[in-house]
Amino acid sequence: MSLLDKMLRRDDPHSLAAPYALDALERAERTRFEKHLRNCPVCAAEVRALSEDAVRLAWSTAAPPPPAMRDRVLAAVRTTAQEPARAREPEARARTTQLPPHVWGTQPPPSRSGGPSHAFGSGGAPRARRPLFVPFATATAAAALVVASLFAVQANQTQDQLNAERAQAREIAHVLAAPDARASTGKDADGRSIGVIASAAEGQAVITLRGYDDVPSGRVNQLWLMRPGAQPRSLGLFEGDTPLVATGLDKAATSLAVTVEPDGGSPQPTSQPVVQLALKSVGFGE
Amino acid sequence: MEADELLVLVAGGDQKAFEMLYGLVSGPVFGLVRRVVRDPAQSEEVAQEVLLELWRSAARFDPGRGSALSWVLTLAHRRAVDRVRSARAAGEREQREAHRAHHTAFDQVTEEVEAGLEREWVRRCLERLTDLQRQSVTLAYYDGYTYREVAERLSLPLGTVKTRMRDGLTRLRECLGGVA
Repeated sequence: MSLLDKMLRRDDPHSLAAPYALDALERAERTRFEKHLRNCPVCAAEVRALSEDAVRLAWSTAAPPPPAMRDRVLAAVRTTAQEPARAREPEARARTTQLPPHVWGTQPPPSRSGGPSHAFGSGGAPRARRPLFVPFATATAAAALVVASLFAVQANQTQDQLNAERAQAREIAHVLAAPDARASTGKDADGRSIGVIASAAEGQAVITLRGYDDVPSGRVNQLWLMRPGAQPRSLGLFEGDTPLVATGLDKAATSLAVTVEPDGGSPQPTSQPVVQLALKSVGFGE
Repeated sequence: MEADELLVLVAGGDQKAFEMLYGLVSGPVFGLVRRVVRDPAQSEEVAQEVLLELWRSAARFDPGRGSALSWVLTLAHRRAVDRVRSARAAGEREQREAHRAHHTAFDQVTEEVEAGLEREWVRRCLERLTDLQRQSVTLAYYDGYTYREVAERLSLPLGTVKTRMRDGLTRLRECLGGVA
């Protein structure tokens, strides 16, 4: 019997993969299914993929928690003991029902591709080698990255900042709403990263930078648009983790670059880029 | 630093790392829990439990097997769904409200005012599903109904609901997967 046949059989546990991924099983059924998962690597892989899809639905729901919650949680953390690291052992996993098991699964997902360390997205066609079940970490890294940046910003802010961010969020939403909006991200060996969501048709992009905020005092990260046969064009200065919204982008642009410049920025780059990201995969460079 | 790296530090008892992790994930966790649980006081309670559980159970996170944000949100969703179901079982939730939820599950996604960066993207992709796919997925994920309850509400056979859920999630993957 083919896998497809098995999946189509109504009473087959496989058919519960999607409801399980959505947390839509009753407790007893969930327990039974989790037992089944431990002996079915195919189901485990499938459940993991579907769960990653389900988690994407959570992206649209983020909201700043009440400020007092932070104090309460941090106070609790100071007096709460942690579970020992060996809780990751399979035996321990089987015994506890506290955490959904598919999240770490019964076997590792396809390994992540290690990118080049500084210039991102410049070569190769990794999409062709895409596995059947794309791990969340790779498939959606760009979007997750952008989202995480925004959330970090939301954590503590004044009303003015909030208003400014709402205005910015509207611009961001506008970029996202473009029919051709696409995303790309690059990460270096130190875990620092640059992410972009762009619409070539609208000539707009949202750019995030993470991990590059340890610039010396009196210095600032400046973003540049690189175009063939033209001077780099400044797209603005990064302030901490706040995403930059860039408009009026030239479709011929080939990449984004970030340089460290004196406060206030420079008319043209005065140093080597600390990071560059190719724009081809988001529809530029024609 | 990203959530993945922070979670590893947190597993080693690093409270400073936990504070940073809190900054990154508390918004997504609270927002998701509130979307499912609805009641503000209960949402706060559940979100707190989830965040504290991150501290306690951080050692179980394995960075080689998925992103931290995905792990955290899966945990938060599980907790939120458990809470909303016990609340329903205890009759705390008005029938009227449940009825309203049925009809507004999708609208609320589109209406919520705070513009999260991914909101527009997810909304756009949800719109591309068929009505039954979208309702099956959102009644389960955003409203915490079991697939049996979803089948009752939509007057569909159980097998059909399971298939719609799977197809809905797969289509969502195709739509959002373009983010790679």
